[in-house]
Amino acid sequence: MRIRALLTFALLLALAGCGKKAGGKELVVFWQFFPAEQIGPVLDEFRKQNPGVDVQMEQLTWQSGLEKITAATAAGNVPDLCELGSTWFPRFAAQGALVDWTDSTAAMAQQMVLADMARVNGRSYGLPWAVGTRALFWNKALFARAGLDTTRGPENWDELLAAARKVNKLGGGIAGYGANAGERYVLFKKFMPYAWGNGGQLLTDDGKASAFDSPENVQALEFYLALAKAGRVDRQDQLDEAFMQGKLGAQISGAWLFRKIPKQAPDLAYGVALVPHPVGDRGTHASFAGGEILCSFKASKNPSGALKLARFLASRDAALMLARANQSVQPAVRGVESDAYYQQRPMERVLLDQLALAVPTPNHPAWLDMEAAIEDEVEKALYGKESAAQAVKAASARIDALAKNTDLSAK
Amino acid sequence: MSRRRRFEASTLFLLSPWIVSLLLFGLYPFGFSFALSFYDYSPLNPQSAKFLGLANYAEALRDPLFWTALKNTLIFVFGTIPFTTLLALGLALALQKRFRGRDFFRAGFFLPTVVSIVVISLVWKGLYAPEGFLSSLVRALGGTPPRWLLEPHTALASIMAMDVWAASGYYMVIFLAGLQAIPEELYESASLEGATPWQKFVHITLPMLRPTFLFVLVVNSVRSLQVFTEVFVMTGGGPLHSTLTSVFYLYEQAFYKFRLGYASSIAYLLFALTLGLAFLQVRWLKLESPRT
Repeated sequence: MRIRALLTFALLLALAGCGKKAGGKELVVFWQFFPAEQIGPVLDEFRKQNPGVDVQMEQLTWQSGLEKITAATAAGNVPDLCELGSTWFPRFAAQGALVDWTDSTAAMAQQMVLADMARVNGRSYGLPWAVGTRALFWNKALFARAGLDTTRGPENWDELLAAARKVNKLGGGIAGYGANAGERYVLFKKFMPYAWGNGGQLLTDDGKASAFDSPENVQALEFYLALAKAGRVDRQDQLDEAFMQGKLGAQISGAWLFRKIPKQAPDLAYGVALVPHPVGDRGTHASFAGGEILCSFKASKNPSGALKLARFLASRDAALMLARANQSVQPAVRGVESDAYYQQRPMERVLLDQLALAVPTPNHPAWLDMEAAIEDEVEKALYGKESAAQAVKAASARIDALAKNTDLSAK
Repeated sequence: MSRRRRFEASTLFLLSPWIVSLLLFGLYPFGFSFALSFYDYSPLNPQSAKFLGLANYAEALRDPLFWTALKNTLIFVFGTIPFTTLLALGLALALQKRFRGRDFFRAGFFLPTVVSIVVISLVWKGLYAPEGFLSSLVRALGGTPPRWLLEPHTALASIMAMDVWAASGYYMVIFLAGLQAIPEELYESASLEGATPWQKFVHITLPMLRPTFLFVLVVNSVRSLQVFTEVFVMTGGGPLHSTLTSVFYLYEQAFYKFRLGYASSIAYLLFALTLGLAFLQVRWLKLESPRT
C-alpha cells in the first residue's frame, strides 16, 4: 500500500542522510519548488557572494513535495532551508518543527508585504519569499461585443454581474463568468475575495471561534452563486483554457496567465482589474494572498547557513531575479514596482496593487481542514444542494468545532 | 547431509538481497504502520506520539467520510471488475486465433498497461474536458454532453470507464496465457462427439479457465480496492466527495493532515476488507488451493 511505500521512503532518507559533508566548504541543503533553470542563476549569485558556502539544491514537485518534506521530518533528515507553501506552513509551525527567526529577521520582515504570513502568535518562523494573489481577468473583445465599457474593468459587484450576464447572452459557447469547482484548494481562493471585500471574516481575532456565519459572507456567497449562473462552473485549467480561447468574459485568476497567454493566445485582448468591491463606497478590493515561505527546521544541521541563504533569497535583488525568470510570482519585498520590469508591464503592476489589498489565510494549525470545510459547503451551494445561508452556517459550525478542538498554546 | 546444508547456506546467501529488502522495506513498514494505527502520531512531531488503543479504529467507524470513501471504493470495485473481466476475456478469445495483424492488436490492447497511470489520467482528463474530444463527439452526434468529471453523479462513473479501458489489456494477456494452457485434445475429442462451439466454450474453456479467473479476480480486486492515482490526478475526491476513495482519504489524512496513526487504521480496515474479499473469491470458485 501507498502508506508502506512512503514509510519506506522515510527510512531510506534516514539511511541516506548519515554523514553528509562538503569538502572544506560549509554546506547548505536547500529544498524548493522552482524549476532549476529559474532558481539556478539566483543560487549561482549566492555562491559568488559567499565563496565559503556551497548550496546543494533539490527541486521538489507540487505533486509529491509535501509528502517528501513530511517523510523527511519524520525521519529527522530535513534540509537546512526549505520552501513551504503558506497553507502548509501553520501546521509545521504549530508542531514546533520550525526555527524561531523572530529576532534574526525582524528588520527584513518590516520590508515585507504580508509579513504576517510567516508569523504565529507574534513569532516569525520563516521569511516570506515569493508571493502571489488573484485578480480579475476580463476579455476586452467580448466586453466590446456585449456593448460594455472597454476602457476599464468592472469596478464593483453590480458592474461585474451586469457585464457577466450580457456576455453570457452572446451565445456560441461563450460564458459570462467562470466560477470554480471540481478540484481542491482552488474554490476557496475564488470565493473568499468577495467575502473579505464585503467585510466578512473567517475566525474571531483570538482565533478561538468561527466568525464565518455572518450576513456579509452570506451576501458574498449569494453574489458568487449569481455570478456562476451568469457563466459556467469548471476547474481552473479549463477556465484558463476557455479564457485564452476567447470564450470567457471574466474570471478571477492568477499571474500564471501572464506566462501562458503570450504563448498560447498572443492576440487575446484582455484586461486585468482589482477584484470588484461591493456596491457603493462600501467594502474593499480584497483578494486571496498566498506565497512561499523560507523556513529552517529545528532538526536542520546548518541553521546559520540556512538563515544566510534565506536572507539572500528574500532580498530585493534576488527575489526580483527569480520573479522575472518565473513570471508568475511577485517578490515579497516592498517597493519592487519601481523596477524596470514592472514599469514596462502595467498589467503585472495591477497584481502588485492587488497584493497590497490581499488577505493571507489565518495561520491556524487546523487551517487546511477549515479551508476544506468552506470549499465543501460552498460547492454544495454551487451544485444547488444548499442555500447560501445554509452553506455559510454549516461551514461556520465546522470551522467552530475545529477552532475549539485545537490547543493553540501547543508547541 | 553436509552437502545439503551447504546448499541451503548458499541458497540463503543468494536470496539474501531479496530477503533483506523484504524485511526492511516490506515487513518492517508493514508492522510499523500496524503499530502506528494504535497511536496518535504526527510525522512532524514523532516524540509526542500518544497510545490510543483502538480509538483510531473507533473514530474511523464513526467518521461519515470514511464510509463515503468506502462506499465509493466498493462501487468502483464492483462496477469495474465485471466489465474489465468480460472485456479482457472477450479480447483474449478474439485475439487467440491466428489472423493477419494479430500481434498489432495484442500489442495495442496491452499498451495502456505499460503507460503510467498518471499519464493516462491526464490524457483522459483532457478527453473529458468540456471542450474535449468526448464532449465534442457527443455534440457532433446531436446530444448534450454530460459534465463528466464535474457532476457528482457522473464523476466516479467516468473514472471507472477509464479504468476498464486501461486495465483490460493486462488481464487479456493473462487470459491468453490461460487459453494456451488448455490441451488441444479436449477440443478435438469434443469435435468428434459433435459439440457446437458454444458447448465447447461452456464445457471446456470456462471450466479450464477457472484458476485464471481466480487470479484475475483476486489481483484486480486488490488493485481496485487501492484506487488512488486516478482520483488524485483527475478530481481530488470531488465534486462533493463523489470520487473520494479509501486510499485517497487515508492519503489526505496522512500527508495533508499529518494524522499518520488515523491513516494507518484506515489502511488496516481496508486490508481486512481486501483479505475478506479475496477469501470469499477463493471459496466461491471452490478451489482448495489457488494454482496460479
